[in-house]
Amino acid sequence: MDLIANLATGFAVALTPANIGFCLLGALIGTLVGVLPGIAPITTIAILLPFTFSLPPASSLIMLAGIFYGAQYGGSTTAILVNVPGESSAIVTCLDGHQMAKQGRAGPALAIAAIASFVAGTFATVVIATASAPLTWLALKFNAAEYFSLMVLGLTGAVVLAHGAPEKAVAMVLVGLLLGLVGIDVNTGAPRMTMDIADLGDGIGFVPIAIGLFGIAELAVTLGRPQDRSLLAVKISNLMPSRTEIRQCIPAMIRGTVLGSVLGVLPGGGAALSSFAAYAVEKKWSRTPERFGRGAIEGVAAPEAANNAGAQTSFIPLLTLGIPGNAIMALMVGAMMIQGVQPGPQVMTAQPQLFWGVIASMWLGNLMLIVLNLPMIGLWVSLLRVPYRLMFPAIVLFCCIGTYSVGNTVFDIWVMLLFGAVGVFFYKVGAEPAPFILGFILGPLMEENFRRAMYLSRGDPMVFVERPISALLLAMALGLLVILVLPAVKRKREEVFKE
Amino acid sequence: MTLRLNVPDLAFAAFLVALGAFAFALASELSVGTAAAMGAGYVPRGLAAIVMIYGAVLGVRAMFVGRQPFPAVAWRPALLIAAAVALFAVLLPRVGLAITSIAVVLCAGLASYDVRLRENAVLAVALAIFSVLLFVSALGLPIPVWPQ
Repeated sequence: MDLIANLATGFAVALTPANIGFCLLGALIGTLVGVLPGIAPITTIAILLPFTFSLPPASSLIMLAGIFYGAQYGGSTTAILVNVPGESSAIVTCLDGHQMAKQGRAGPALAIAAIASFVAGTFATVVIATASAPLTWLALKFNAAEYFSLMVLGLTGAVVLAHGAPEKAVAMVLVGLLLGLVGIDVNTGAPRMTMDIADLGDGIGFVPIAIGLFGIAELAVTLGRPQDRSLLAVKISNLMPSRTEIRQCIPAMIRGTVLGSVLGVLPGGGAALSSFAAYAVEKKWSRTPERFGRGAIEGVAAPEAANNAGAQTSFIPLLTLGIPGNAIMALMVGAMMIQGVQPGPQVMTAQPQLFWGVIASMWLGNLMLIVLNLPMIGLWVSLLRVPYRLMFPAIVLFCCIGTYSVGNTVFDIWVMLLFGAVGVFFYKVGAEPAPFILGFILGPLMEENFRRAMYLSRGDPMVFVERPISALLLAMALGLLVILVLPAVKRKREEVFKE
Repeated sequence: MTLRLNVPDLAFAAFLVALGAFAFALASELSVGTAAAMGAGYVPRGLAAIVMIYGAVLGVRAMFVGRQPFPAVAWRPALLIAAAVALFAVLLPRVGLAITSIAVVLCAGLASYDVRLRENAVLAVALAIFSVLLFVSALGLPIPVWPQ
């Protein structure tokens, strides 16, 4: 019973008073930014990254992870009460959740969203714990060629599952890879593309790029749009859903959880994709699809379960293979590397406390969220009444302080400003920044493995297709690309993202 | 075939070509090496070339996929947010966090179309106090608070 022993190790770490505190703090901050539209969890994690440097690695990751899944809980509150998604994975929750609120069933909608998230979170924690060991074992057999091919597959997945035009996502990955190479070459010590700027020796800072693209650019774009926050004046009197409602929800919750757990692991997957897919499946399977969009409680339970499950299982590729599947996980890689932890299969064997501690904390965090959130809904709602004009100057200031504190240099502030401007440009031309961040993080890793593999094969590129696992991974990447250009799939994909 | 310019796509393609060319020029001074023993310039140059070519292909395509103008940019928020960030970079080393915070918040606040000046001033002072207390006093970040 390795699993139980491992989880025991994990809980021993997660249950220390300090880590309980960081877990709670992360979950609360996550809920807060989830509730507030206009601040995405990715921005928050980017801003808070520098402040976690002084913490021990486990505490830092526990807190950052808490922000991510906490935001899944918070996002639904805003979706249900204001009909504005607090963050992107709650978009589908608006459809039926807000209708329920209009019919005076806001309480049950909020409760079922929280319960579904908790059920999914619990299940996903078990999935992570069980799937990690075999995947890690597999990853330890990987050579440079396999790693390279795996990253190709990951980036292809990110392209296929990105919103917006896939050909732009490909370009963003390429640009990310290219910019990731700036800095001193590890193999030869030669400074590369640094324009003789000493501050670029270690490469372009990851934090200023992330905060610029996601924080500053997003603010500038959001402020250009009219603000709409008509809060529904609802009295939330009765939280408990009726027995019929619970019966309707249970199968939806289970389907959502399973679907979310699977989609979360996919490269490019994660919370948003899971919730969209779960809603679509639920509508298709329902015997009364006409109820959807008019306050069907399954339409809240399934996507809420799916987004939380997906949010959590997207940690699997990161924790076992060391490869981030989406932009938030790319930030986590940044967090780990700054802490001196090289993400990869060796983390589980070399630092079991860190590995299992983070996993155990996820379940703990989910428990805290359900216990704390339902009674605290009133508080979150009152935060929604704070106008955006009072919040965004604070975000600008915190973005600056956060970026500055990474290396105590204003150079990073200028980099952040540059990428803020580039981010606005990307937004205007319809290019998603998420694939860029993935490429940026994977760039140096990919190059290193590519060079090593080619060195070992004496310059023969056939090595990538001659080794079976590597060939399989590349074939899968190719398959994804072929699927993407098939006209039928293309149409279907556009449909899904439109919903 | 008639030209039907898609301006956003074309702008993005131009960005790719320019970036690729710039990176290629920067990487051209690095040694390339061979496929078996790659120099520092092998991968950067290859990638820069791919970005350039890919951008050129997208650019050609953008000329025929349908007319679309460049979307309007809300300049007031964009420029004022940028100005606030620049203020932070210029002021922080000179006057410290307290005064910098006030300046940044005052400037950023103007970015919103529904700004209220008095409210913004109060917010600026409050956030300056909060930042100094949280980041310097509580978290102990080595940031200068007052002008040296």
